Amino acid sequence: MYSSARPIPMDSAACVQWIESAVKNPIAKSRLLLWVDAVGGFYVCPGAEVRLGQAVPDSNVDVPLLADLSRHHATIRRDEEGYTIEPVRDVWLNHHKIDTVSWINDGSLIEMGRALQMRFSRPHPLSATARLDFSSNHRTQPSAAAVLLMADTCVLGPVAHSHVVCRDWPHEVVLHRQHGGLYCRSATPFEVDGTRYQQQGPITLHSHVIGEEFSFSLEEI
Amino acid sequence: MFSGTLNTDLTLESVDEPMDPQAPQDEHAPRGGPLKFAYANGSRPLAGYTIKRGIGRGGFGEVYFAVSDGGKEVAIKLIRHNLDVELRGVTHCLNLKHPNLIALYDVKQDDQDNSWVVMEYATGESLEEVIRRHPQGLPPEEAVNWIQGIAAGVGYLHDHGIVHRDLKPGNIFRDDGQVKLGDYGLSKFISCSRRSGQTESIGTVHYMAPEVANGRYGKEIDIYALGIILYEVLTGHVPFEGESVGEVLMKHLTAEPSLSEVPDAYREVIARALAKDPARRFESAGEMMNALPPLAATMAYRPPLKETRAVGEAPAANAEYRVPPPQPNPEAAQAGAAQQVHAVVVDEEPIWRAIRDGWRSTRESWDNFNTPTKIGVAVLGLMVISNSTTWNMVGSFGPPLVVLYVVYRIGRSMVLQHEARRQGGYQGNARKGGSDTNYRESRREGGSQPVDRPASPPPGMQTTAYHPTRKLSPPVDWRKASQRRWKRRSGRRWREEAAAALVVKSPRERVAELAGSMILAAAVGAAMSVVVILLRGDAVEKEVYAWLTLVSVVGSWAILIPSKFWEGTKGDAVLRRVALLIAGLAVGAVAYGAADVLMTKLPDSPMHHVFGTRALSDRFYDLKDGSPLLMGHLAYFGALFAVISWWRQANPLRRTRLSVWCTVVCVFWAWMINLLWSFPQPWGLMVAAIISTSVQLVSPFVPEHERLARPAGQE
Repeated sequence: MYSSARPIPMDSAACVQWIESAVKNPIAKSRLLLWVDAVGGFYVCPGAEVRLGQAVPDSNVDVPLLADLSRHHATIRRDEEGYTIEPVRDVWLNHHKIDTVSWINDGSLIEMGRALQMRFSRPHPLSATARLDFSSNHRTQPSAAAVLLMADTCVLGPVAHSHVVCRDWPHEVVLHRQHGGLYCRSATPFEVDGTRYQQQGPITLHSHVIGEEFSFSLEEI
Repeated sequence: MFSGTLNTDLTLESVDEPMDPQAPQDEHAPRGGPLKFAYANGSRPLAGYTIKRGIGRGGFGEVYFAVSDGGKEVAIKLIRHNLDVELRGVTHCLNLKHPNLIALYDVKQDDQDNSWVVMEYATGESLEEVIRRHPQGLPPEEAVNWIQGIAAGVGYLHDHGIVHRDLKPGNIFRDDGQVKLGDYGLSKFISCSRRSGQTESIGTVHYMAPEVANGRYGKEIDIYALGIILYEVLTGHVPFEGESVGEVLMKHLTAEPSLSEVPDAYREVIARALAKDPARRFESAGEMMNALPPLAATMAYRPPLKETRAVGEAPAANAEYRVPPPQPNPEAAQAGAAQQVHAVVVDEEPIWRAIRDGWRSTRESWDNFNTPTKIGVAVLGLMVISNSTTWNMVGSFGPPLVVLYVVYRIGRSMVLQHEARRQGGYQGNARKGGSDTNYRESRREGGSQPVDRPASPPPGMQTTAYHPTRKLSPPVDWRKASQRRWKRRSGRRWREEAAAALVVKSPRERVAELAGSMILAAAVGAAMSVVVILLRGDAVEKEVYAWLTLVSVVGSWAILIPSKFWEGTKGDAVLRRVALLIAGLAVGAVAYGAADVLMTKLPDSPMHHVFGTRALSDRFYDLKDGSPLLMGHLAYFGALFAVISWWRQANPLRRTRLSVWCTVVCVFWAWMINLLWSFPQPWGLMVAAIISTSVQLVSPFVPEHERLARPAGQE
């Protein structure tokens, strides 16, 4: 459903810029903040391997957490079959301490260190993208409401199975990866950094996207 | 928009401050359109702060989430053109300090002469979101936790001579367990009414005291709003609802709130807070809180330790690795102890409680199953029902057990009463006052989400969060948000709307749907009969199979046809039962005729003679072998159809497509009827089970999210 085969128009200067940025900075290696106006801020990890650990000044993990953790505390990986977690330090999965790589399923509770609790979910049945929500009072650094482990698509929309639930939006907006870069698709026209697109358009890791009924920004960390 | 209604109905303009002629950005907000934020991520309109995203639009201007150059996360609110009125309000409140108020840090000017209010950014959901997640109301202890936090903040404002004037769930947040009130300075000098009439519309008038119509803005209006919010957190919807601002306001002015949905213990408090005459309300928020029932009286039936554990808390097994639970302060501990004492005093009968708790947890886990699992379990259940050994066991052990339990229960209550009398009135009263509400509470909370924070200490006592905080956006596009809210607000409401959509279905549509359902019912009935017979395991003559299929299919038709025409209407249940009784008699006749034509005698298992065959009349039964004659069939099926509200199972607005609970209830009734007019079993029960299942499976079902979309689409 969301793996589009439609050809992408590649004409404008924005596209050239986009290609350059995509080559220079492949999405799979990046970490993003997705700021959805009137909804919230989300920490997006497009990589298939996501390391979690404590947020310290020179931290080099993918998801730095403001919590009492080790610098590298656990690794979450995504493959065709699903998600696994590899504990580097103390990790509990659904209240059971784990010592080896374990599968995580929709609804699993991940606990790390002494107090951090996160709920893992895969809201959309057609997308491998998952979401980590904090059950305890912890946050990422920089602060975000949830972590999105983005596979090929990320759905922003009004219904509950969207990855980012935007209650007041009239329809879905889909971010998807293509040609190594990131695209935005919407049922209504929208603007990306001043360039107008009808239904689908490339976005960079710093784009501001404004539609008739929505707006959001990306920020690379 | 709504101003027209307002002007004609009430003189809401009679506000102390003159209307700002510029009426700033609100005019630019497209109607029903998107929420536009002037500043995007990364912009720095105010020196020292980088905007990250728009949060929403408050009473006065856009609110953004921003990070200071030093890294502090704040919410900043734009006040264009230095609205004096607004700024006066803010500066007045700038140095208020209370754990239940969103802190205002500063007011700053940008180089375009706009003012910005820099304030605390609250993490966590707004009360509005929380209520939306609990359409049936919050569990009482959580509701009270919210209300106490709000009341503490309001009380503090009142003590400092400030009336909030715009108390509503969208302005209230919870941050790390701490209730936080927002938007207070901003609404002080500006009439919420006029603003709301023009831009915020109906959302705000839900909380508006009647005297506001006369331009009176004493602190009583906050008490009134507190009463409305208390009602709302307990029931999931506001007491006065209506289609227009005028209608809601008129209800505030004239209608008495209906308190039947509110737990008994809270009725008095709400009634007094919602008194039309401001002088009759509580004098202060503190007085209102003192009038609240002690929590224990409303939640005594919760096993105090087990259920109040936080959602994710680890079980005791690895407790040593976990953070020790937050040390409750002495007062909270005391309250907790008091609660336990109450719990002991009003403790209900343990066996019954065990059964109920077991049943509740089963139902909870049932809700978490996916459909294939549900079907699997249902098949297993049928297997058990259709097995004659089960029946023998139920038949021989069931009645004696029930009798034993009844005797025990009576004995127990006698002993307890005696004890209570001996120890004085206190316990007796507690039990009397408690039991009724308690039972309701505990039932209600069975369906609700688990409590986030166990036995929270009173909000005033909590330590503040150490980490940067985030403010959840208040609903942004007010007109749209409030409209939507009308649809989502109460379960009843959308049910009505969806029902209205069903009523407008054309007869042709109905007939088409009905035909489809009937064909499906035939297929499902036949299939289920095979399944049931296979599960039963014994060899069965094909005549019996034919009988079972025929009766089940005709039975489901007899329900589907009338239900189709009752769909979406609120008919008289008695008339429906009578109609179904007639249908049932017809089905009984068919069942008898079929048995006669097929020349089959249903193989009978011995359990059905619970009351013995002696009572059987020869007009109803063949006395030789106890098998039912025409009258027996008529009696059994007529009663089966009249006793159960079958049409509910065909209602497209039922809770789930296939509720096995429903089927279990049907089987139970079939068994009860069987005690009166015995019928060869398990065939009678099987018919009931198959009818129930196939009616539910083949009747159209509108999933909940579509229920909302449907009427909206027709607007």
